[in-house]
This record gives sequence, C-alpha cells and structure tokens, in this order.
Amino acid sequence: MKINVYLADRLASILFQVAGWLSVAILFGIFALLLFNGVKAFAHVQPSEFFLGTIWNPAAYDRPQYGIISLIFSTLLITSGAMLIAVPLGIGTAAYLAEMAPASVYRFLKPAIELFAGIPSVAVGFIGITVVAPAIARIFGLNNGLNALNGSLLLAIMALPTIITVSEDAIRAVPTTFREASFALGASPWVTLRRVTLPAALSGILAAVMLGFGRALGETMTVLMATGNALAFPNGFFDPVRTMTAAIAIELGETARDTTHYYALFAVGAVLFVISLVVNVLSERLARRFRYKNE
Amino acid sequence: MRNKVEVKNLNLYFGEKHALKNISLGIPEHSVVALIGPSGCGKSTLLRSMNRMHDLNSTVRIRGEILLDGHNILHGNTNPVKLRRRIGMVFQKPNPFPKSIYENVAYGLEINGVTEKDKIREMVEQSIRGSSLWDEVKDDLHKPALDLSGGQQQRLCVARAIAVEPEVILMDEPCSALDPISTAKIEALILRLKERFTIVIVTHNMQQAQRVADYTAFMYLGEVIEAGRTADIFGQPKQDLTRNYVSGHFG
Amino acid sequence: MAKKHFLYIVLIINFLSCRENDNTVENILIKGSDTEVNVALALAEHYMEKEPLVSIAVTGGGSGTGIAALLSGKTNIANASRPMNAEEYHLATSRSIHPKPIIFGLDALAIVTHASNPLDSLSLADLGRIFRGEITTWAELGGPEKPVSLYGRQSNSGTFLYFRDRVLAADYAASLKQMNGTAQIVEAIATDPAGIGYVGIGYLSEQERKLTTSIKVLKISSLSNSRAFSPLIYTNISSGKYPIIRPLYQYINGQPHGRLLDFLLFTIGEEGQGIVRKSGYYPISESQYAENLKLLDSEMAIK
Repeated sequence: MKINVYLADRLASILFQVAGWLSVAILFGIFALLLFNGVKAFAHVQPSEFFLGTIWNPAAYDRPQYGIISLIFSTLLITSGAMLIAVPLGIGTAAYLAEMAPASVYRFLKPAIELFAGIPSVAVGFIGITVVAPAIARIFGLNNGLNALNGSLLLAIMALPTIITVSEDAIRAVPTTFREASFALGASPWVTLRRVTLPAALSGILAAVMLGFGRALGETMTVLMATGNALAFPNGFFDPVRTMTAAIAIELGETARDTTHYYALFAVGAVLFVISLVVNVLSERLARRFRYKNE
Repeated sequence: MRNKVEVKNLNLYFGEKHALKNISLGIPEHSVVALIGPSGCGKSTLLRSMNRMHDLNSTVRIRGEILLDGHNILHGNTNPVKLRRRIGMVFQKPNPFPKSIYENVAYGLEINGVTEKDKIREMVEQSIRGSSLWDEVKDDLHKPALDLSGGQQQRLCVARAIAVEPEVILMDEPCSALDPISTAKIEALILRLKERFTIVIVTHNMQQAQRVADYTAFMYLGEVIEAGRTADIFGQPKQDLTRNYVSGHFG
Repeated sequence: MAKKHFLYIVLIINFLSCRENDNTVENILIKGSDTEVNVALALAEHYMEKEPLVSIAVTGGGSGTGIAALLSGKTNIANASRPMNAEEYHLATSRSIHPKPIIFGLDALAIVTHASNPLDSLSLADLGRIFRGEITTWAELGGPEKPVSLYGRQSNSGTFLYFRDRVLAADYAASLKQMNGTAQIVEAIATDPAGIGYVGIGYLSEQERKLTTSIKVLKISSLSNSRAFSPLIYTNISSGKYPIIRPLYQYINGQPHGRLLDFLLFTIGEEGQGIVRKSGYYPISESQYAENLKLLDSEMAIK
C-alpha cells in the first residue's frame, strides 16, 4: 500500500513535469514556426522596408507594400489608450471591492464583473460600431467614431475584468496588520489605501495590469470590427487604425499559401510574439523587484 | 493621580457573543497599566476598544463609556481618525510597513500634516532614539524595515507610534513574538516612555507585568475580576481566582 | 439477442443492395465565394427536392478558396464572385485542369451614403476619384463642407478587389475604413453623415425598407454627362445601364456530364433564375445564357 502511494506521487509528479515542459515546447514551437515562415518573407521584401516602412498594403493594385511600423504604432496606440482608461478604473474598482464595498453591493457587483469577462469579443465589437462609435462622433463632433479612441474604450472594457479581479486578490492578500498599523496612527481609510495597502499590493497589481495589457494587445475581433482598419498612418486617437492582430486575421484567410504576403503575415505574427514576450518579461522583472522590496 | 482613561460599564458583543461584561477601570496618567488573564478573557478586546479599532468590524456592538480626559470616545461625535492620533498602538506581531525604516516613522508625521522635510527628519531621529533603536539603524535608515530582526522591528513600531506624539500608547502583547533579550529592551523602553505617555499593556507574561506595570487588572471570561497596584495584585490578591491565576494554577 | 443481430444483418444487406442497384446517387461538391453561398444553398436545396438521388454539399470560404479547391480537384464547382486571375489560370494549365466559367447571376454593387447627403447621383469617374482619395470633401461635388469618409470591405473580400479593379483601377485611398462585412458598412454609414460605401444589392433588397430612413442609394452614370441609373430597378441591371455589375461565376473543370451538367442547367434555367432573383441577385441576360450553353456543350444541353 505504501509503495502504491509512493508510486502515485512519483507518477503525478512526472505527469505534471511533462505537462510543464510540453507547454514550454509548444511555446517555442509556435515561435519557431512564426520565425521560420516569417523569415521567408525577406526573400522578396527588404528588411528595411518591413521594419521601417509606414505603409502596410499587401493587396495593393500594383506594388504591394509591407511596412509594419503603422501596424505596430496602431497596436501600441490603442493598447496604451486602453490601459490609460482601464488601469486607474480597474485598480479603483478593485480597491473599492476589496476594502469598502458593503456585502450587499459586493454580492451584486462581483459576479457582474466576472460576467463581463465572458462577453464575446464579437459582441463588444458590435456594440462598438452601433453604440460607442456614434457616441464618440457626437461628443467630439466627428463624422464617425470608428477610430483608435473607440478601440481603446472597447479594449479597456475587455481588460477591466482581468485587472479588477487580479488586483482585488492582490489587495486582499495584503496583511490586515498593515492596515491596522496605519489606522492606529490616525490615517483615514483613503490614506491607508493609497499609502499603505496599494503600495503593499503593488507586485500583484502590476501583474494584473500586465495581464490586462496582454489581453488588449492580443485582442483581434473587436479592433477588427470597430477601429476602421484604414491603411493610413494614424495621427492620433481620432484616426482609424489597423492593428497587427487585425491585419493577420483579415488577410491570412484569403492569402495564397507560400506567397510573399503569406510569409509577411507570419513575420508580423513573430513581431507581435516578441512584443508580448518583452512585455511579459519586463513585468515579471518589475513584479519581482517590488516583491523583493516588500518581503 | 487623575485618570487619563476611564472605562465605565463597558459591554461589548461580537454578534451574539457577550465578550466584555460591564467593565469599569481607571487608567492613571503617566503610569503603566497591565491587563492580564488567560487567553480569550477579553483583555485584547478591551485594549482595542480604547482606540476604536473595533470600528472596522461591523458585527461588533458596544455599550457603555470610555472617557479620555473626561470625553466619551465611543460617542458618535468622536472622530475615530482624530482619536487614534491621541491614542497610539503597538501590536502583538511586529508589523512595520513594507517601506524603508525612515519611511515607516515618517509616515505618521506626513499623514498628520507635517510637511517640512527638515522637521520630519528631526522627529524621525528623535523617535528612533526614543525607542532605543538609533544606534543600530542610523546608517541604514533607507533600508527595508522588513530586513530588521523581530526585536528591532518591534522597537521601530514603538518609534512609529511615538513619532506622532500620542497621549496614550496601547501595547497588545508587544513581546510575545520576541526573544528574551529583545523583550528586556522593550521593557526598559516602556519604563522610560511612561515619563511622557500613559501606557496600557496586555501581557501573558506575569513577570513582565510585575517588572513594568504600576497597576494591574486581572480579567477572566470578559470581566475584570480584580484591579489595583501591581504589588497588591501579585502579593495579596483579594479574590481566589486572581490568586490561583497569578500563582500559576491555571492560564 | 440473436434475433437482433439478424435484423441488423438484414438491414445492412438491404442497404448495400440498394446502393448497388441504384448506383445513381451522385455527390456534387460546391465550394467558394461567401457572397454566393446563400444563393447556391437555395439552388441546391430546390434541386435535391426534385432529384432525391443527388446530394449536394455547399461550403463557403471565399472565391480564392473555391478556385484553389477546383485546381486541386477537391470540388466539382468553384463559386467565385470574381473571374479567375492569370496566376490561377497558369496553375490550372500546369495541372491539366480546364476551368469553364458558368455565369448564373448578376450582383450589382450599390453605392450608399447617409440619408442626409444632398447628392443623388454620381458618375463612375467621380466615384473612382472619391475612393482613390482624389476628392476629399463633399463640397467638391457641390455637397456640404465635410470631409468624405470612405467605407469598404476588408482586403480578403472579393467585393473589395472587384470594386477596386472595376471602379478605381488603382489603390484605394489609405483612409478607407475597411469593415468586417456588408452589414457593418451599412451600420456605420447610417450614423456617419459624411460616409459613402458600397454594398451588394442582395443585401439591400432584403433590408431596403428598414434602411431608407438612414441611408440612401445613389444613382450612377457611366459617363460624367450621361444619365444616372439606380441599381434598385431590375431593368437598369438587365439592360446593362447600371455600370457596377459583376457576374457570379460557377467554375467547373472541363466538360460536365450527368447530374453535374443537369444541376448547372437547372441553375441557369427558368426555375433556377427565379431562385437567384429571390435570393436578392439579378438573373442573367439572354446572351449570357447562350454563352453558358455554348460552354456546357449545346448538344448535351438539348434535352
């Protein structure tokens, strides 16, 4: 019997180890695939055109153009816009839920927010076209609201549940003794939250923000529907944008295999992969630094 | 000597549980008062009523009065935030903020409206000196407070509490997590601090009560059984229950 | 237990013999254009009602996907809302495949604006200028002082390519907003007073009543000084007066026989054309019908 328990332990440990390594292998596999196919694009496209060009128009009438800069800029524009909205709002909501909300409000609000995370991105995109975009147009006196701002607002909505849920957990994980110490010094709840609780939860909140950022960065359907997808280089939040994800999703479906366009889309995918990787590694570093400082 | 704090007919309930029963107790100014008694007797609960820490718990109901210089602090008109500036607290487990040593002490000053950097620096130094920690940390003021030893952390918490110059300091078993040497340092500190502050200390350790306290109250099952001069409580207790407890028969 | 097994065996034998005796059950695979998928399904369903021994499977995926499937022998009919391009023909020859285009319907692209736009008609040339980005304000066309806001389909759409090649003969303006489907173009223009875009007539005739309050269908003239015609009137289409018409193709490989031929004749025949009309597209002209018959081998067609 003893041996059996031991064996089961060993087996489980091996199983999970394999699963862990498998996910690493899959990750590397995906990157290798993107890179392997992406590099082939450079047989016909100058790397300088790809990495420095500002116009992405592979389906051009005569000469296709493969400049990725506008795609990267568009992606970063709406993602950072989304974060500007979602981070303060998300952390504020999380703090309210964790520290202040009466039980009756919490019981209603918490599942509502979690439900929010389950809204399909197509539905969010549709709301973006029919509700948010016309509202933006009216508020800012534009002809239409299919622009980067619309994308940022929608992505903020989509990133919020992640940011709120993870931040709330981080705030709840802050030991009560910190709060008590602050209250005992004559700090108000607001001061305690701002000066003690939030800083102590910083590593978790940072993780929440990065998860939200990743969600916004990788979101495809919503931006594909609601940001206008124009090829022109955007000059700000009131211009339509075409993101990297939207370009891949729109174009890959009908692109003939083994063409330059096909490979160029893989190259875009590889760049997107690298961007998310950098974001993840940076946030991991940052989080670790704060965690070290705290513990 | 007049009473700095006076508890009158205090009753406290955690939901249905009657945790403090009709307690009356005086805390004389510039003295050290020890609350002793077995676990669960309500001594920490009583201590935490004195700076309204129970406000954070919505299931708590309190009846009766706690007077600070004659004003009832349990009255709805009393602002608990302002009250806590007058009644500081040191907790059972050292709980410095995850900030630097300097920031830990400066925090209380900053939130209480001290803005001049020089003044803050001066008061931080004074407070850390006042808690007998200065010589050990003066070169490491900007290092994380959590890098200090447990005893140093607790003295830092004392420094943090005295920096805002309260009138009363509540200490909730401040040495229970510390080694004997650190305990001795805290006890010496308490004896020095009573010149400036009125101190209420909850302790499990009867020798400690005898070493530091001018007055001692023995609590049992939510009631104050006996209170008086420390020498009397330990030397010639009037109640059998007290005698049994202080002679180590239970608890 | 034994009885049950016996029953199964009888059933299986029955089934097998059925197949053997009537080996006329024929499968036809149709793949391609998303624009055509609904009309192709309607045609297939009607045909299968008449001929229960024929099974037709219709899948979408886009014109390019359908043609690719035809070229690799994976479908009998490739639906396409654009003609095959030179590259595809080249690939076909190298694989000894002989594609034949059978035109079974006409799709007009309607040009729509916001209902408040004072313009009623445009010439084909001006339309091209607008979408190439050469005309950037409505004032240049006598309209209000508003920047033109362009809407089109995304680059994976056959309509995107057709409109570009037929009307622009150059690249779209970079400011073109590429929408994820016809419905979204209409949704966007309904709220954009400066908007202009193109939509398949099949979509409009379905929605016409609901939309007249928020969008407007422009009349288009072939030349800048000629009369403009509305795509909402059938005779303008059948007579070729409305200039933005594209044929809907069914590509086949070589000479069709049997049920496949029969089905193709059904789609261009009277009944099939009725279904095309009901699906929101326009029937083919007589000359197109005659051309189809020639391609399908007239001798076989006389039946």
